[in-house]
Amino acid sequence: MKRWLLLFLLSASPALAQEAYVLGLSGALTGPNASVYAPVVEGIKLYVDTLNARGGVNGRKVNLLIQDNSGEPSKAAADVKRFLTQDNVAMVINTSLSSTYAPIIAETKRARVPLLFAGAVCPKEVYPPADELQFCTTAFTPGYDSRMALTAIQEMAKGPVRIGFAAMAIPIARAEMEYAAGLARQKGMTPVETQISPPPAPDYMPFATKLKDANPNWVFSWSPWVSQVKTFEALRRLGWQGNYITIAHIPAEEELVRLKDPGFIVYGTNALFQDNQPGHRDIREAAKNAKLSYSVEQMAEGWIAGIAIEQALKNAGWPVTPEKLVASMNNLKVDLKGLREGGLEWTKDNHFRARQSYRVYRWDSSKNAIVRLRDWTEVK
Amino acid sequence: MQLAVNIAVLAAIYALVSCGYVLIYRTSRVLSLAHGELMMLGAYGLFTTASLFSGHPLLAIGMSAVLALVVGVLVYALLMRRMAGEAVLAAVLTTIALGILLRGAIILFWSAQEQHPLRALGFSNPPIAIGSARISAVSLVLILVTAFVYAGLYAFLRFTAWGIRMRAAGQNPLLAAQRGIGLHGIYALAWGLATLTGGIAGMLIACDSSLHQTMVIIGLKAFPAALVGGLDSLLGALVGSLVVSAAEVLLIHYVDPLLSDVVPFFVLLAMLVVRPWGLFGTREELDRV
Repeated sequence: MKRWLLLFLLSASPALAQEAYVLGLSGALTGPNASVYAPVVEGIKLYVDTLNARGGVNGRKVNLLIQDNSGEPSKAAADVKRFLTQDNVAMVINTSLSSTYAPIIAETKRARVPLLFAGAVCPKEVYPPADELQFCTTAFTPGYDSRMALTAIQEMAKGPVRIGFAAMAIPIARAEMEYAAGLARQKGMTPVETQISPPPAPDYMPFATKLKDANPNWVFSWSPWVSQVKTFEALRRLGWQGNYITIAHIPAEEELVRLKDPGFIVYGTNALFQDNQPGHRDIREAAKNAKLSYSVEQMAEGWIAGIAIEQALKNAGWPVTPEKLVASMNNLKVDLKGLREGGLEWTKDNHFRARQSYRVYRWDSSKNAIVRLRDWTEVK
Repeated sequence: MQLAVNIAVLAAIYALVSCGYVLIYRTSRVLSLAHGELMMLGAYGLFTTASLFSGHPLLAIGMSAVLALVVGVLVYALLMRRMAGEAVLAAVLTTIALGILLRGAIILFWSAQEQHPLRALGFSNPPIAIGSARISAVSLVLILVTAFVYAGLYAFLRFTAWGIRMRAAGQNPLLAAQRGIGLHGIYALAWGLATLTGGIAGMLIACDSSLHQTMVIIGLKAFPAALVGGLDSLLGALVGSLVVSAAEVLLIHYVDPLLSDVVPFFVLLAMLVVRPWGLFGTREELDRV
């Protein structure tokens, strides 16, 4: 926090701002959901610091201005106004709750500045036909994630599937569970119960009790991590023996090791660090010299956004204008060095990605390690 | 049976948290709206001592309890003491400011990372069967600790000199002061005990599930339980917690889980309409609010 504040103060210098690419990030660094977003911000900052240490982009440093919006729309609106009117940023980055999207989108549209969602759930406007100013690098995304989860269940299940759903009481998660329940019926599964818990609950047992009473043999959860994992743990305490599949949010790798439960299955677009891809080695190397607040295993999401930002700035050249940056982002292709399958590709029509693929993991007690259940599987 | 166990666990959580609200209010007439943050600070204290005294869990637990008590006394000595003689509203606003400060400080020192103090202590949390129902070991401890805390507070307030002084200060501070009771010492003790009980609640909740900054919201959810029971009654806090948690668990199970967030406040509203001073509160105390 102190370092970010210092960076912010330094970046307020007009001389520095004139000679660097200036980007503005509004993120939920504090507030109830900070654990989801703050590691992503740290990952982006880690990448930008590494980039600047290498000499920057096109011979220019990247000046990343970071503001904390606590997940509150009013603070996000103030942040983006400041970025656009005082700091003259070339790009705005949002790493926060979906409730902050409306004011940020409105302001960036008015100023015609590109908006990147990094670690914040991708809005539908980035799918084809994409909004001209909105782009997304975030791994998890509605629709695709449920299709992958149900495909994985269908292939792993040995008999009829009685499926339960668990989500946090936030609109996007509830809508996703409704979508998944409909999809499950189409696939011949029997949806038995959907449990929606508040953020947070003092005790998850009352929610898990009702879910367990419906007797599912599979449960699918798509929500912030805290809700996903606590519902699972409550189910296990009640003696439930089924399989639980959930999206691999940022803490997933550490949590698989903590839980050591073969029935807890995670799937995600980002490869886990145990896969030890070249991209993971780059992150580990960069993290050696950085004082991180979060573990290195939580840096991949932010690092990926950093790679995309670097390439976008590189192609836009110097001096950069929002128009040149949008043109660059409309034709962007980057190699993510194994962090995701197929890299990241944006076109004028598609600001999400050309391919969305997932890997599936679980804990293997006999090997005492995380194992991969399925290699990259593309979801259309 | 499982529903009864779930009600007992939730009631124990609310009761352990809400007795802090009651202790401070009945002694000093101040409504502490930083209680959730102090509860969370207690849990982070345990996480820190568990890391510092790795391999010595009892020492870590003991140290964190002492820390919670000291923090409560310090909050009074350094901050709330200066509110003596000021309007009650000023004191309440001070606690709100303290809460905001603590939330920021916690992120600064411990980050937003979810933590697991039980693992740091080296303990596990296996489920225990009670008839056809199941309860986690830490939840069972939570119920026992809540019973012990309430029994201890009853004995303290009823039979010890300091407890009787505390009751006297709560009933009539002017008269108590004229009889030689040091009000600042009594108030500091009340803040210390309230922070200790809140801290214990935070520690046990964190051990049962995890330590996360959203814990502060749990502190707020326990507030209606204290009000339903009557803000000046420890017995009321206990009964209020039971009423609120029973309504919450039963509605989650039989109606809609989405109601769980609003149930405590619905029960509170119903109580305010029927008996505004709470189940065991007194009219006189309500006038002072």
